[in-house]
Amino acid sequence: MSAKGEIVWELRNIRKAYPGVVANDDVSIQLRSGEIHGLLGENGSGKSTLIKILSGAHQPDAGMILRHDQPVRLPSPLRARGLGIATVFQEFSLIPGLSVAENIYLGRWSRRGGSIDWAAMREGARHVLGRLDIDIDPDLLVGDLPVARQQLVEIAKAMALDASMLILDEPTAALGPAEILHLHALLRRLKDSGCTILYVSHRLDEVTALVDVATILRNGRVVSTAQETRIQIEPIVARIVGEEVKEHYPKEHNATPEAVLEAEQLRTDQGVIDASFVLHRGEVLGLGGVLGCGRTKIAHALFGIDPMTGGRLRIRGREVRFAAPSDAIRAGIVLLTEDRKAEGLFANFDGTRNITIANLKGLLRGFRLDLAAEAQISRDLIGRLHISPAAEQNSVELLSGGNQQKVIIARWLNCGADVFILDEPTQGIDIGAKIAIYRLINELTRAGKAVIFISSDDEELLAMSDRVALVRRGRITRILPASGVSKTDLLQSADAMLREVAA
Amino acid sequence: MKASFSQSLIGPLAATVLAALVVALTTDRFIDAGNLRNLALQVSIVALVGIGSTLVIVAGGIDLSPGSAIALLTMVFAGLVKFGGVDLWLGLIATLLLGAVLGALNGILTAYLRIPAFITTLAGLSAFRGIAFMFNNGSPVFDVSPLLEQLFYGSVFGLPLPLLYVVAFFAAAYWLMRWTRLGRSIYAVGGNPRAAHLSGINVKRTQLLAFVLAGLMAAIGAVLMAARLNSGSPNYGAGLELQAIAAAVIGGASLAGGRGNVLATLLGALTITIVQNGLNLNAVPTSLQNVIIGLIILLAVGIDMWRKEIGSMLHLFAVPAGRGAAQPSNSREERTHP
Repeated sequence: MSAKGEIVWELRNIRKAYPGVVANDDVSIQLRSGEIHGLLGENGSGKSTLIKILSGAHQPDAGMILRHDQPVRLPSPLRARGLGIATVFQEFSLIPGLSVAENIYLGRWSRRGGSIDWAAMREGARHVLGRLDIDIDPDLLVGDLPVARQQLVEIAKAMALDASMLILDEPTAALGPAEILHLHALLRRLKDSGCTILYVSHRLDEVTALVDVATILRNGRVVSTAQETRIQIEPIVARIVGEEVKEHYPKEHNATPEAVLEAEQLRTDQGVIDASFVLHRGEVLGLGGVLGCGRTKIAHALFGIDPMTGGRLRIRGREVRFAAPSDAIRAGIVLLTEDRKAEGLFANFDGTRNITIANLKGLLRGFRLDLAAEAQISRDLIGRLHISPAAEQNSVELLSGGNQQKVIIARWLNCGADVFILDEPTQGIDIGAKIAIYRLINELTRAGKAVIFISSDDEELLAMSDRVALVRRGRITRILPASGVSKTDLLQSADAMLREVAA
Repeated sequence: MKASFSQSLIGPLAATVLAALVVALTTDRFIDAGNLRNLALQVSIVALVGIGSTLVIVAGGIDLSPGSAIALLTMVFAGLVKFGGVDLWLGLIATLLLGAVLGALNGILTAYLRIPAFITTLAGLSAFRGIAFMFNNGSPVFDVSPLLEQLFYGSVFGLPLPLLYVVAFFAAAYWLMRWTRLGRSIYAVGGNPRAAHLSGINVKRTQLLAFVLAGLMAAIGAVLMAARLNSGSPNYGAGLELQAIAAAVIGGASLAGGRGNVLATLLGALTITIVQNGLNLNAVPTSLQNVIIGLIILLAVGIDMWRKEIGSMLHLFAVPAGRGAAQPSNSREERTHP
């Protein structure tokens, strides 16, 4: 391994364009041995493209990649791998039906004669895991491990080939606070052994404590490389979201005192513990807290996905109990899911059918669906929400993320709901579409609807909510007016949670 | 979707026309009233069973059982009428009901007991025929009723009855898939079951109903099969499930679910039957026929799978034709930005 602090890899003036969008423009980064380099930026800022280039999956249109000052080409992931670059993508490359040892040695199982040398492989895996101080039995099936442990196996697999650089793409996306701490401890040990780590994230709260250096991308360009061991949060936030940030939140205040939804000691087996709150007509109630704190689980309880095992739910004073989402929809509660591809969109349908699918009943004339009425309803909503007119007759697969999101919002508007639960509605869509979503939230509240708003973007959460409920481990700990909460409060509360778990 | 609905017929239609052209060029006995009438009779059973296969495939499942269900149903039908002294029409209704029950069995096991459709219906493939052999010591039941034959060989205004059944059932199936809530739900459940559940659709009931309708179509096929030979036999319908699936797949139904068009399945069934007919007329041995049918299935699905590449090739030459270019798929590079 190289001496500490030496520049091992360097990207110079990298440019990569896709049809219609420049993903990376003039990006230069220096990666040194023995450091954790944060690659930060909003969704769509070009982080993924950059790591795809560095891991050999994509080729840059222009620019140079240097290894120890020598220009190299990375025409394939295999070549990058051979040069010591190991990448752990968000989607794991593990095979659930194989053991930890088999996964670590996937594709290069040790052989003796014509058969696999199981003993040597197990021993090797134990050694790799031991070196990384990961306490996992190599004989366990990967599929039986919780996600956090699978991630550790993924890292062990990456490091088993003596990688000198480890790239992690949003490694904490699926982890709880304790697991994040464990992961960070592991990364620090790797760093101390001289490894270079490129840590990609759009979450600041846990990164600030970890990285030595950060490169910040915005709209495909490097905004800043900060040579600081301890990074100050505020200037980074400003650099990530840009100076014009204040204008991005066209918040309207439409809250009334009239209660629409009352949750009392809500409880589910999936992790909601005695959550209580009142949601008012025209109000936006933000759910704040770190990833995995139970905000989505609360949404699932309210929408009838997870059955309530305790507590009471009243909508407009009437007590309800949902066996399935269809009950919630009928009662006037709808959920915009976090994962719009897997849980929202029908790729086999055009925009029109995606919009009407949750309210086919409204199209029925006897047994027949009124297709003319359907086209009209969709056209109206597509116009009203400023969705690309192409949505009407084309598969939603062809639409941009923002348009896809609006198609699903149109679906719920078509159901005439009173309560809109929006789980990460602006995730992965560009800034223009985000503003459109904010305007829609205003339009909803103006029309007397109530909104429950979940977002990992703290700034957005505070700006668009009337009140913020702080969620910790499936409980709502406090509900405060949004104006009384600062971003630091949220971060501190997250930080407190990390510390609490660490203790 | 409106546009692509008819566009999705272009490819299968081209295949049918191509098959007919090739056959007509290789033998002058193809374009012949007797032969064409024979063709219509041949295609009817595969096509009608293919409706059920299409529904199940679009709902995201697969049905391997209709061939064996047909064996069982013809035995029950023939046995009831011949030995049970049951009135032909009553027996027919009982057969249809039993078909629906067999379908419901597949559906309950798949949707509610979460056994994969492939396994459920593979079990049905084995078990239904096994049960069929338990009747009449495993022997066929011949000479059921002279009236029965009329159901297949009869005609109205000179049109063979099977042709009318095909028209009626395909019209009904097309209507179901396009204009009813159930049809739309079947597409939604096959396209994205999780999203369907979260959109308030009863996913399990939808899957169940698709299987029930498939069972009903198998029973229709069984009635025609029994009428055609005026008998019931535990050997009927062998391999029919694969022909029906092939018809659906040649018609463009995606085994991943969510995509498919019953009218295209009719074209798929026609293509297979025309090819078989042509091979028969040219005295090609059965063994080679099976190989050729296999190749056609591969080609049809291959074209579906490669439509991205084919589509971009067609775009390259700026020829806006073919299934590859017609269907909205990933092949289109242009993304619509807000």
